[in-house]
Amino acid sequence: MTLVNDSTTVPAEPTAARPPTVGEQLAARFPNAILGASTFRGDTTLTVAPTGLTDVARALRDELGFDHLSNLSSTDWSRYRGYAGKERFSTIYHFTSTRTGERIGLKVFAPGGDSPAVPSLAALWAGANWPEREVYDLMGIKFDGHPDLRRILLPNNWPNHPLRKDIPRGGETVPFSMIWEDEEFQSFGKQIVEAKSVQPVPPKQADANKHMILNMGPQHPSTHGVLRVVAELDGETVVAAYPDIGYLHSGFEKQGETIRYKDFLPYTDRMDYVSAMSNNLGYSLAVEKLMGVEIPPRAQVIRVICAELQRLASHLVWLGTHIMDAAGVSHALLMYTFREREQLSDIFELISGARLTISYIRPGGVWKDVPPSFVERVQDVLKAFPARIDEYERMITENPVWLGRARGVGKLTAEQCLSLGVTGPLLRASGVPFDYRKARPYSGYENYDFKVPVMTEGDTYARYLVRLEEMRQSLRIIDQALKNLPDGPVWTADRKMALPPRQELDTSMEALIHHFKLMTEGFVPPMGEVYHSVENPRGELGFYLVSDGTAVPYRLHVRAPSFHNLQATDTMARGSLIADLVLVIGTIDIVLGDVDR
Amino acid sequence: MDYLRNFFVNLARSWTAWIGGFLPDWGVNLVNYLVVGIILVLMPVIATLTLTWMERKVIGRIQNRIGPNRVGPWGIFQAFADAVKMLIKEDIVPSGADKPVFNLAPILIAGAAALLWAVVPFGRGMIGQNLNIGALYVVAVGSITTIAVIMAGWSSNNKFALLGAFRVVAQLLSYEIPMVLSIATVVLVTGTMRMGDIVERQVAPFIVVLPVAFITYLLAAAAETGRAPFDLLEADSEIVAGYFVEYSGLKFGWFYIAEYGNLFAIAAITTTLFLGGWRGPFVSVAPALGPFYFVIKSVAVIFVLMWIRGTWPRFRIDQMLAFAWKVLVPASLANLLWSAIVLQIGRQPEQLGPTIVQMILLLVGNVAILAVTGLLLGRAARRYAAQHGWAGA
Amino acid sequence: MLSQYAFIGIFAVIAFALPVIGLVLSWLIRPKKSNPAKTTTYECGMETIGDTWVQFKAQYYLYALIFVVFDVEAIFVFPWAVAYNKLGLYALVEMALFIAILLGGLLYAWRKKALEWH
Repeated sequence: MTLVNDSTTVPAEPTAARPPTVGEQLAARFPNAILGASTFRGDTTLTVAPTGLTDVARALRDELGFDHLSNLSSTDWSRYRGYAGKERFSTIYHFTSTRTGERIGLKVFAPGGDSPAVPSLAALWAGANWPEREVYDLMGIKFDGHPDLRRILLPNNWPNHPLRKDIPRGGETVPFSMIWEDEEFQSFGKQIVEAKSVQPVPPKQADANKHMILNMGPQHPSTHGVLRVVAELDGETVVAAYPDIGYLHSGFEKQGETIRYKDFLPYTDRMDYVSAMSNNLGYSLAVEKLMGVEIPPRAQVIRVICAELQRLASHLVWLGTHIMDAAGVSHALLMYTFREREQLSDIFELISGARLTISYIRPGGVWKDVPPSFVERVQDVLKAFPARIDEYERMITENPVWLGRARGVGKLTAEQCLSLGVTGPLLRASGVPFDYRKARPYSGYENYDFKVPVMTEGDTYARYLVRLEEMRQSLRIIDQALKNLPDGPVWTADRKMALPPRQELDTSMEALIHHFKLMTEGFVPPMGEVYHSVENPRGELGFYLVSDGTAVPYRLHVRAPSFHNLQATDTMARGSLIADLVLVIGTIDIVLGDVDR
Repeated sequence: MDYLRNFFVNLARSWTAWIGGFLPDWGVNLVNYLVVGIILVLMPVIATLTLTWMERKVIGRIQNRIGPNRVGPWGIFQAFADAVKMLIKEDIVPSGADKPVFNLAPILIAGAAALLWAVVPFGRGMIGQNLNIGALYVVAVGSITTIAVIMAGWSSNNKFALLGAFRVVAQLLSYEIPMVLSIATVVLVTGTMRMGDIVERQVAPFIVVLPVAFITYLLAAAAETGRAPFDLLEADSEIVAGYFVEYSGLKFGWFYIAEYGNLFAIAAITTTLFLGGWRGPFVSVAPALGPFYFVIKSVAVIFVLMWIRGTWPRFRIDQMLAFAWKVLVPASLANLLWSAIVLQIGRQPEQLGPTIVQMILLLVGNVAILAVTGLLLGRAARRYAAQHGWAGA
Repeated sequence: MLSQYAFIGIFAVIAFALPVIGLVLSWLIRPKKSNPAKTTTYECGMETIGDTWVQFKAQYYLYALIFVVFDVEAIFVFPWAVAYNKLGLYALVEMALFIAILLGGLLYAWRKKALEWH
């Protein structure tokens, strides 16, 4: 086994000078299971034998406090440069401690050649269910002991597992292959293309004889996109809710493996399109971590301002649509929140020229420095927003119907949240004070004075209050950032990513060649793999990047907060009424682009 | 001038006199019935054309929007454009539907919406028929709507529609009780079921004499017509459109017309029973002012309902039914009993409407009922909150 | 008296004729291009699973049963309310008893949790 990293070490005996690291502790406990350890850019990854995975994971959770399964992904190593390992596939698990913010990765090389299998972690973390299904769907790795191993994003009759390296991008036959000249287009109103649709299979657990099986979605007013929830109903009571996703699956991960690092940025806009800035930030930070570059302070502060403005905008959309779920389209709040969001979109347009798919924060800094009027415009927001948030509160917070509707609905305990991998406001409303901005600060968040709102009730109303308070805290962060906005460049000076200045090109041949290489080839990270996560408005947004030393990512995985949070639907909705199911979907605050990617 | 003062009644008299010149008595009656009938039947349609525009404008303004402003000045012809669209739109009947029932439901609901208008007094002497069972007639005709809605929901063979129909059974029936009881209170106090006479005997508007009955009636009527926050029958975010999800074209249009016709009708009945109907300044001098007062009061009631729609979330079905049975029914029963007791005090034979003393006593009792209900509701809300771990709030 | 109901009768005929006329008119001028895809049941774009007309909860009808009791009561209340002025104290006592029995029924249903949503 070789691992291509900058420092591959066998875990050493702990010295007396420092306490043993987590890796060392595990290696001491499971000498047969831990095969090796590596550290790259501060990420520790242990290689674990498949047979020992469950034990190591259990020890991590129960004894070492790594209670949150952040990320679950996989890699096909068959085309990796210089790879000499025996197994073609590996899965990787990233665990985070919600108390200390520490993180550790476990990597498992899956035995079985082209039909690999590893043990499932679904028994330990209920939230491993969907990510494992995703890995099975896209990579074809089987999970032994998984309760319901089916495809999740792609249709059941899909011929291959597309993330495998031998599957070409776009190589499958797509039924929609007509051109405008075809005669069939003359007769609209008929079925245009004879596409063979897959019969919607009722979930096998559902009992269609005793209960009513109701499809909510994909075309339903309250599913916030093309989500389908199959609800099993007894009268009005939800016996079970089975979310069915994948309608918006666009293969962004596969696409990411074919284009350069910097070219993938626009795709991140289109995942969680309600908070594009946060996605830009998360991806940029992951790439910068892989490259090992420093970002100048001005760019960092601008990034923080933008990310928090985006959090405001995202929470505004959530608030408006959530109340709309509870009240119907006639409710006034939706338009109010969109009026406010308009102001934020204007600011984004001012700095980047785009309003929705922004691509402003880029690997290496931000696209361009902000125009002079930016500060003034953000100050307008700071002036106007506190009163407006108060106005929403007056309108809704004490409304008896809203109290009755939101309280006690969609309850999640802290244990359930951690088990399901739920992050963001949902986790914090259940009493776990876990926020990546505090736990693993990035972009200088440690320099700001802000609070992480936490409630213990864990219901829809608590999440509502948490998000409202988060908006206020975001305003505080923006205020501080604006006051301390330093001067200076907004692009990294590190020549690994930065273009040489124009005047140097006239005098230095090396600079010219470097410029040419950067422009034509793109920047080239060293071989290695990183996982970096940020606090998206919806929760933990993580990017897992594997580099093989070229300008194109070898593997790019997105840990989408909505995808993981949506898993909690059934837990939250079981036993409640249809009206509550609608609120539950709303309170998760999903973006389907984020779920399906 | 004198003719103008009571313009509408005088116009009717002149018309009767004119056709009486060449028609026998029964012919005059028949023609009059037909003319009045056609005018009243068109009321739901007129209500829809005006109220949809008003609602879109009002909700638009509440939502910080302009509302329709393209079709005609201020968009007032928007509703006509919609009507034309409904008329020429293709009618789609789902293949699994129970066709006769499916087709009958919109006819029934639109007819029922029109029937209500027979007993609405627009002004002194301006009423379709001052039936001696007017108040009961309102209740009876209102029930046809329930049947039509169940028919629509059941026959569509659609799960959303069926859920809507289920909810109808529970919701419309539950709210009929408090509605009937609050009407009965008014009937008790006035001693008549004739809608015209109820107005005549309302010396002071009953909203200030019987606030409990007024609130109960307004809430129950909002629930009966499926207005927010009781719009569970057609809750767009839950069951898409509820019982009429499969309807299209003019069949959908008739549901729509019935909805707005009923909205105007309940506002009119609220006005009649609680807001003094066509009463207002100078009406005794110029009865022709009556209909204007009547419409203004009705529109005010409608505006309040629209306001609620723009700012309140929707009830959940269990909460809504509990509200009907555990709050409105006991409160209105208590109100009925108290009214009966008060009317025994200083009772005079052949009394027309309550005396001043009785009105004051009624008000005192109503305020007491309101206070007790409020206290109990607050306690129940706190208990509910505590159940879900919200003890502090 | 009877003429009043004659009016109601004529009015009812007109009231139910209007929607029929409207539908006939619409039938004359609207397009008629049906196809199987159009007439499928709407269920959010998916084919419906299982039967729509399934057994469903009797919960909804519990309310209907309680309703019948109270609605019959209402029928009795109306004539009493109209004639109340002429009847005197005796009517008050009688109706108070009647309502008390009903309230007892309501309390019973309440206690039996028939008013709770299960």
